[in-house]
Amino acid sequence: MKYRLLAGGSVLVMAAALSACSSPSDSASGDGRTTVDVWLMRDSVSDTFQKEFTADFEKRHPKIDVKIQIQEWDGIGQKITAALASNDAPDVIEAGNTQVAQFAESGGLLDLSDRKDELNGADWLSGLAEPGAYEGKQYGIPYYAANRVVIYRTDLFEKAGIDAKEIKTRDQWVDATTRLNQGGTQGIYLPGQMWYALAGFIWDEGGDLATESGGKWSGALDTPEALRGMAFYEQLQALGKGPKDSDEDDPPQAEVMAQGKVAQVISTPGGANVIVEKNPELKGKLAFFPIPGKTADTPGSVFTGGSDLVVPAAAAHPDEAVTFIKELTGDTWQKKLAVAMSYVPNRTSLASAVAGDPGAAAMAVGAAEGHATPNTPGWAAVEAENPIKDYMTAVLTGGDPAKEAAKASQDITRAMNAGS
Amino acid sequence: MSTRTVRPVVPVRPRLRRLPLNIAAAVTVVICLFPVYWMISTAFKPSKDIQSADPQLFPHTWTLTHFQRAVDADGFALFWRNSILVTLGAVLLALLVALGAAFAVARMRWKGRRQFMLMVFIAQMAPWESLIIPVYIISRDTDMLDRLPTLTLIYFMITLPFTIVVLRGFIGTIPPELEEAAQVDGCTRTGAFWRVAMPLLAPGLMATSLFGFITAWNEFAYANFLIIKQQDNRTLPVWLSSFQNTFGTDWGATMAASTLFALPALVIFLLLQRHVTSGFAAGAVKG
Amino acid sequence: MPVAVEPTSAPRTPRQRPAPHPAARRKPAGRAHGLWPYALIAPAIGGMLYLLVYPLVRAVLISFQDFRLRQLISGNAEFVGLRNYRTLLADPRFWEVVRRTFLFMAVNVVLIMVIATLVALMVERLRRVGRTVVLCSLVLAWAMPVVAATTVFQWLFHSEFGIANWALTSIGLDSFERYPWFANGTAAFAILVTLIVWQSVPFAAITLYSALTTVPLELYESARLDGAGAGRIFRSVTFPMLRPIFLLVFSLEVIWTFKAFVQIWVMTRGGPGDATTILPVYAVQTALSSQRYDLGSAASMITVILMSGVLVLYFRQMFRQEDETR
Repeated sequence: MKYRLLAGGSVLVMAAALSACSSPSDSASGDGRTTVDVWLMRDSVSDTFQKEFTADFEKRHPKIDVKIQIQEWDGIGQKITAALASNDAPDVIEAGNTQVAQFAESGGLLDLSDRKDELNGADWLSGLAEPGAYEGKQYGIPYYAANRVVIYRTDLFEKAGIDAKEIKTRDQWVDATTRLNQGGTQGIYLPGQMWYALAGFIWDEGGDLATESGGKWSGALDTPEALRGMAFYEQLQALGKGPKDSDEDDPPQAEVMAQGKVAQVISTPGGANVIVEKNPELKGKLAFFPIPGKTADTPGSVFTGGSDLVVPAAAAHPDEAVTFIKELTGDTWQKKLAVAMSYVPNRTSLASAVAGDPGAAAMAVGAAEGHATPNTPGWAAVEAENPIKDYMTAVLTGGDPAKEAAKASQDITRAMNAGS
Repeated sequence: MSTRTVRPVVPVRPRLRRLPLNIAAAVTVVICLFPVYWMISTAFKPSKDIQSADPQLFPHTWTLTHFQRAVDADGFALFWRNSILVTLGAVLLALLVALGAAFAVARMRWKGRRQFMLMVFIAQMAPWESLIIPVYIISRDTDMLDRLPTLTLIYFMITLPFTIVVLRGFIGTIPPELEEAAQVDGCTRTGAFWRVAMPLLAPGLMATSLFGFITAWNEFAYANFLIIKQQDNRTLPVWLSSFQNTFGTDWGATMAASTLFALPALVIFLLLQRHVTSGFAAGAVKG
Repeated sequence: MPVAVEPTSAPRTPRQRPAPHPAARRKPAGRAHGLWPYALIAPAIGGMLYLLVYPLVRAVLISFQDFRLRQLISGNAEFVGLRNYRTLLADPRFWEVVRRTFLFMAVNVVLIMVIATLVALMVERLRRVGRTVVLCSLVLAWAMPVVAATTVFQWLFHSEFGIANWALTSIGLDSFERYPWFANGTAAFAILVTLIVWQSVPFAAITLYSALTTVPLELYESARLDGAGAGRIFRSVTFPMLRPIFLLVFSLEVIWTFKAFVQIWVMTRGGPGDATTILPVYAVQTALSSQRYDLGSAASMITVILMSGVLVLYFRQMFRQEDETR
């Protein structure tokens, strides 16, 4: 009897389920309002900012509803692929600036070249505008930029008698970090796979991640310059307890620093907000300095990171999507975003918005030595598979750097040329 | 029921003789249960005890905060509901379709029977991981992306071949004479089957649906790739796999979420343990 | 908790007659069986054709086409004959993956079969209570959902707070202090094997145990009277009786470990390096990360072909039993 009861019950449930689910996703409701679907990345905007922006946007555009869904960086390439290829894609997607080329090449993005003026294209940051363009057409609209700086604990520095302003060279940096790395305190929390930081060290030495010759890209981690960059990374990584086998997202380094036992992390300045949010006791105890270079007169090289906004070719509401982008990248909200999240605004003319911000000041120093990953559709495949991370872990756990670097370079070469 | 112990020919001190056996049994139990236990106990421990250099085998203090965090997380109830709906839908559909097919195979003689079973066996081995892209394309072209019924249909197909094989085994164990007797009493053939064989089949149906349930409840790859824009339609495995991104270092909440995800399967399996363990002997294995 | 584990074949008396189903009132069409069987299998056939055969055909087509992100988005893929297969077969990395797949499968299957047989023999010798407890714990391990189990294993082997490192350190193996399991290829491989063996042994052990209970006791007794030892009895009585079931469980485990994907994907994504990349993972990686759906499909097809060697064994067994039961 029990069985039949159970089965009968589940038939009912199932019937309810099917009827509940069969209504198609209908974004245009009866009263003529349209919903613009937006994908933003985790930590790209704060909750408060998102709410304020949405409320303001919907007030100014009463016919448009905004639906923002937050995506994780992990596996995002695959997710965007699936979205671009579907019939009912989101209207606006935030994509990392290194990813846009690949999607642009595939024909899945809307060409926004003719909206460039409307969107203040004249003074976009080149670090965002160039990766957003492919074969002369503009697909990605610059959203924000950020590069990495050192976030440090002022109280711990004071206690150790270190003046952060004095740290101008790598040697001084290592020296100070060694002194901080005592007792329960980690001098620096540097997870083993923070490859953007490694890239900076390699650029400092004059090396690169990959080089092009005759239209063919090949990995360059096994050059003497790149190996020196890795050696420095290894030296620095040992001055703390960062896990050798994961990146800064696993566990999120802001959470680790919020636990109060870490003197420094390498992060975008916005990370400081997250740290304070997790542990309010650290409010006022965090400050920034640019990543030191090899000598005092050049700051450390950094990767110019950031995001572009793209509109899928399959988007249902391209016009509303552009309206959304226009608002989010317009003067008002760019300034607010830059201040709230410590980003570099998407246009040079807005730089003054964050002039008073210490994080932005530290970023600006580094930005002078800003670099980008190879601007080719093949690069996204490297990031998706990321042999660089495996290489770093292998070296940090005792592998032979030259051998591992040669292997990783081969993998990069293969990945970059797999698509062609 | 007689114990099937192999009795020693020469009665030596039986207790001592059984000691290695009992130790082996204890080790098996510990190995089987430890991960399950560790998941549940971590879920109940306060965070500071979880992240300590000295893990406690038994929680000193118990807390429900991790469960609270997991349940309060965005959309947890929704994803739980989605998983249940999709799974039950797939299992019931598979049972219904498989019952007909299994009956035809076990009770009737017809041309192509052998070929049909071959097809079922092959289908059981289908390389589902490799079919994601074509299934994606087909769903897109028929406007079935982002929808739970699509997942239901796929899970139905994943579990169907197995269900047919097992049910056929069960039907095979019911003597046709019972139905024939009923037919003599004036029932139609189908009527005889429903009245006489079905009650006997109940345990078989239960056992079969368990396997279907666990397969569908677990499925990750399709749920991950076919639900794109309507994130409210995600299922638990997908949510759980992204849980670490959302909750960071909070292993307590992660384990609480895992516990809540595993719970239905654990409870159902434990309750129906007897059918689970006998299911294969009577069903799949005797083919 | 129900204890007795007996084959369900013992017919139970129907307690109550269920209400007749509406279908029961209909007359069966035609004489004898007529079209009835075909009507009964039609939904199953339809489902298989549309949800399995059709996607499979599409996958085969893709493997002969130039099919990348552009073609996924806009269609119009060109046929390129065997080019994708040539590319794959000429790639040493692919062969490395094939070798690793077979190693992975062999290690898993051998461990699963040996452990499961031992557990089954042990359960048979246990007394009632012990047997129930062991069977229940096997069932619990079996019921543990894959994604949940994978997550738990990640936690067990966490480099900082994992209990595995704690246990190893506290018995004096100091090198396991904060040992990053997932950074070392061999260690990651070993953890995945442990996970898969842990998940697969219950099914195999329970099935083998159920089969053991069907071996007539008299056979054991006469063997013992002939003076055979335990090992001898297993070889000459138990194993031959269970051979068909051994073969079945064996083929199923081969197929299941060959297809192990979710565990690897959730835990390591095939890393570190390629250390845990087996064929299904390779296929998905190629398709989704490098956007080479054509190469990914070709790799899947090669996987299917390699697997069919095992399948032949399985089908032969299936049909031998088929013929016996008729």
